[in-house]
Amino acid sequence: MANQEKKPNRMPEKIRRVNRVIQSRTFVLMLILGLGTFLLLVGKLWQLQIVRHDELQGLALDQQTRSTVVSASRGTIYDRDGNILAISATAETIFLSPKELREELEKEETTWTKEYLAENLAQILDVNIEGIYQKMENVESQYEVLKLRADEEVANQVREFLNENKIHGVYLVTDAKRYYPYGTLASHVIGFVGDDNTGLYGLEARYEDSLEGQTGLVVTAKDNAGNDMLYEYEKYYDAKNGDDLVLTLDTTVQYYLEKGLKDMVTRFDAAQGASGIVLNAKTGAVLAMGSYPNYDLNDFSAIQDEKMKQMIADGSASLGDMQMRQWRNKALNDTYEPGSTFKVVTLAAALEEGVVTPETTYTCTGGTVMSGYTIHCTGHHGSQTLEETVANSCNPAFISYGLAVGPERFYDYMRAFGLMSGSGVDLDGEATGIFINEDSLTDLDLACYAFGQNFNVTPIALIAAQAACINGGYLHQPYVVEQVLADDGTVRYQHDGTPIRQVVSEATSAEVRKCLELVVADGTGRNGQVTGYRIGGKTGTADKGQTGEVVVSFMCFAPADDPEVIMLLALDTPGRDTGTYPSGGAMVAPVSSKIMSEILPYLGIEPSFSAEELLGADTTVPNVIDLSTEEATTRLKNKGFSFRVVGSGDTITDQTPAGGTVIPGKSTVVLYAGEAKSDDLCTVPPLVGKSPAEANVAATNAGLLLRFTGTTASTSGSVRVLGQSEEVGAQVPAGTVITVQLSDTAVAD
Amino acid sequence: MTREEHARARAQQEKRRATEKRSREAAKGSIDLPFLLLTILLTGIGLIMLFSASFPSAYYESGDGAYYVKRQALFAVLGFIAMAVVGKTNYQRLRGTARFVVGIALFLLILVIIPGVGITINNATRWLGFGTLFTFQPSEIAKLAVILYFADSISKKKEKMRDIRYGIVPYMVILAAFALLMLLEPHLSGTVLIVGIGVVMMIVGGIHGWLVGIGVGSVAVIGTLFVKLVESGVIRYGASRIAMWKNPWLDPQDTGYQMCQSLISIGSGGLLGVGFGKSRQKFLYLPEEHNDFIFAIVCEELGMIGACIIMLIFAMLILRGFWIALHARDRFGTLLVVGIMTQVGLQTFLNIGVVTSLLPATGISLPFFSYGGTALALQLLEMGIVLSVSRQIPAPRNG
Repeated sequence: MANQEKKPNRMPEKIRRVNRVIQSRTFVLMLILGLGTFLLLVGKLWQLQIVRHDELQGLALDQQTRSTVVSASRGTIYDRDGNILAISATAETIFLSPKELREELEKEETTWTKEYLAENLAQILDVNIEGIYQKMENVESQYEVLKLRADEEVANQVREFLNENKIHGVYLVTDAKRYYPYGTLASHVIGFVGDDNTGLYGLEARYEDSLEGQTGLVVTAKDNAGNDMLYEYEKYYDAKNGDDLVLTLDTTVQYYLEKGLKDMVTRFDAAQGASGIVLNAKTGAVLAMGSYPNYDLNDFSAIQDEKMKQMIADGSASLGDMQMRQWRNKALNDTYEPGSTFKVVTLAAALEEGVVTPETTYTCTGGTVMSGYTIHCTGHHGSQTLEETVANSCNPAFISYGLAVGPERFYDYMRAFGLMSGSGVDLDGEATGIFINEDSLTDLDLACYAFGQNFNVTPIALIAAQAACINGGYLHQPYVVEQVLADDGTVRYQHDGTPIRQVVSEATSAEVRKCLELVVADGTGRNGQVTGYRIGGKTGTADKGQTGEVVVSFMCFAPADDPEVIMLLALDTPGRDTGTYPSGGAMVAPVSSKIMSEILPYLGIEPSFSAEELLGADTTVPNVIDLSTEEATTRLKNKGFSFRVVGSGDTITDQTPAGGTVIPGKSTVVLYAGEAKSDDLCTVPPLVGKSPAEANVAATNAGLLLRFTGTTASTSGSVRVLGQSEEVGAQVPAGTVITVQLSDTAVAD
Repeated sequence: MTREEHARARAQQEKRRATEKRSREAAKGSIDLPFLLLTILLTGIGLIMLFSASFPSAYYESGDGAYYVKRQALFAVLGFIAMAVVGKTNYQRLRGTARFVVGIALFLLILVIIPGVGITINNATRWLGFGTLFTFQPSEIAKLAVILYFADSISKKKEKMRDIRYGIVPYMVILAAFALLMLLEPHLSGTVLIVGIGVVMMIVGGIHGWLVGIGVGSVAVIGTLFVKLVESGVIRYGASRIAMWKNPWLDPQDTGYQMCQSLISIGSGGLLGVGFGKSRQKFLYLPEEHNDFIFAIVCEELGMIGACIIMLIFAMLILRGFWIALHARDRFGTLLVVGIMTQVGLQTFLNIGVVTSLLPATGISLPFFSYGGTALALQLLEMGIVLSVSRQIPAPRNG
């Protein structure tokens, strides 16, 4: 007790032990709750906020933001004169939200019914009502497209209908629709876009990156109920409109080319269609490129060609196959054995290598024997100059030229002309030529190569090589896009016109031109003549392997002395029973002549008449009314016209054609001396198939005038009228000028 | 009465007076300033973050973005008044209230499970109150009751705590009673917390060392076994909860939604956060963003740096609290503070642990931050108790 009182603070040992335990356990607890747990938590935060930050932030942004797409306008495609070939316009896609629709229909204040909505939509959108009902069944869905890219007019009708009936659950979103104002024109070059507005074919696919532009975005923060957040959180990513393309194509040239191709395929019943390319001979710019069958860019799935439609209808072809066929650009996607048009390249190589000269002569015996095979020629040409071997398209002569060049150097030229690598034109899907391996090339192979058989090239690669042969020797890469322009007109890309290389010399090229001009002037290509123009060209008829079928073709260029334009037409598998011998000269050259006669004046290439042609050139009829008969006839004679006087008066009272009219020279002018001019219309007589003389008689008898085009210089007895500008039986005023095209129907290449 | 007896009685009286005088003088000591400042700091930050986190919900629900924070601030004021009063009071007086508070707590817990009396939210009947204007959870009072009673009782048992009969059984009976009543609500997380606080106080109070070992060991074994069994499919109960804890992205739209949203909030905050007030997850994405998941918004807005600073303040408060416990004048003071700080520490750890998916989901609020007026007021009152204990810390003896 005393002890305790003296030391009141002194606790018993037991108590002190209890307190020690409490103190030590409290201390441990303090470390656990004050340090340990927080270290664990900091570690976890590190993992979430630092290690997984990007991943979780991505998830956060995904759910917190609503991005509204601001669509970029796809670039426009222009031809070289600024005509629009492809343009994007606003359209609206109409869709319904079946989920919302169901909720709406359950509401009491809803006055409209499902049927009412479906019927009206079906009617406005011109779609199947069953389809709409089906889409309404997908009640979990919020997005069922009713009509993709409807025109503005339709969209407005839908909007009006929805507003009037206060319907929720059907929506319109702005979209872009691609329009091709020219429809089928240059369809293979331009190509088309798919449902997602991405280019699928042609330039639309090739220049997708330039055309598509950059889609813009408006990112808005939203709460979980879908409303915008209370404070602003918006980010704008501006839409960048696509770049425009300015092409080298000329819609007019393209039009004439395609018209010619279609006529040719129809007239000669070509089973595999046709292709054609028009290049600027000096730059490689593609003025026109066509392929038949073609298609309408605005409705690319629909088959255009009647025969192909028929094949699908009778089950002999599938829609898919026919679609692929009409989408194929035969000038680019397909290769063929070129045949004699290739002799241009052989000729250039032989001249450049000096193995032949303009003075070289060759005697054709109708064939030549190579490694035990006899290669026949198209005729017995006898002794010929170099020019004549070309004009006659003499195979044995060209075999000798090819062999003289030799396999190695021959292949070097093939390579130098870009035939083995392809033209490199800025279009998708250029096929590569097929050639025998250089090491295993036999003399027989080389012999065939010399006249364009046993290997395959694309038309585009061939015409690029041919252009090099005749333009001074410069190989240009053919190209379709001249410029890429930004939205604000800034030039993003400009084609560089530098030639790839000079393959042959100017002198060689000049000699080639001379030879080829003779082909048209007085050779296998005379059907390719164009009145008033100096045309050079080369015909070709190539066997398609051992099938017995042929590809007939014609290459021509003008003016022959200084080529501006070069064109290559190929007709694949023409019919045998068309009355025309299946050769390039007989089938393709006349069409070529027609196209050239239309595009050369259009392109502003000045005609250069020979003296002989000048006599037959167009002349203006003088006004001789009120003159004495004598004076009138003298004036007409001086101008080179023939005349016929009707009536017996001294003074001319009327004339046909009227003064100032331009008519072919040497035509007959009818003068009326006192007698009234007949107001009767004349009936156009049938002229096709007649000789020029017969046609002239028929026309004069009918009171009409004729203008001849085509092979006017030919004296061959086989020249016949191939076509006439006015239909048989048409009623036309007296004195109307009818253009008839002459053609030599018996030309073999 | 003999003179000797008189003298002894007088002596005892004097001794008692002296003790009381010492006690009174001790109770007049200064309160622990660091602890007070940390408490005020946390409450302040908590209110500010609650304002930010609850703004959208409050705006959408009532049109007044400050609705929740106004109510919370009101209770904070009440809480500070309670803290001041209790802080001034000699905590020894709390000994006498312990049994009373336990009685009240049990009464309220029974009241709440009587059908028609308690307020049921999400299938759990945990609230009492007047309509929806003022509600509170009796379990909050139960926690305080357990702390008061255990501190009082354990501090008197001294070495008897080593005896199972005295040191374990009575406390287990009380805890079992509370646990049973709360499980009936049901309120699992509250039960876990109250049992946790009780057990920790028993351990600190001096139960036998090997019992502590067995207790901690068995909890660890049972916990691990439970998780393993659930994973292997033997036990079905809680299976989805465990699965969602392991990978909430198994069902991000439904059962895993809240967890996914919480992780997205925290993760998108990154190191520096999206900026105070600029949380986007609080816009109806993250449920309970102003209650149990407020810390996710803190992490999103203030980033890892901000979150760590706040956790540091929590840690400092807890460490200072335990420092007070270690220096308390008597066992009662020590155990009181241990109980209160264990409650703060456990709740903080469990809450942030759940929000960060360190632990499986349970509904435990974050002290000073989560919305809940009564809880905040009671927490501040408890801080007042700690401050009261801090006043009687004997001055360090010289020499």
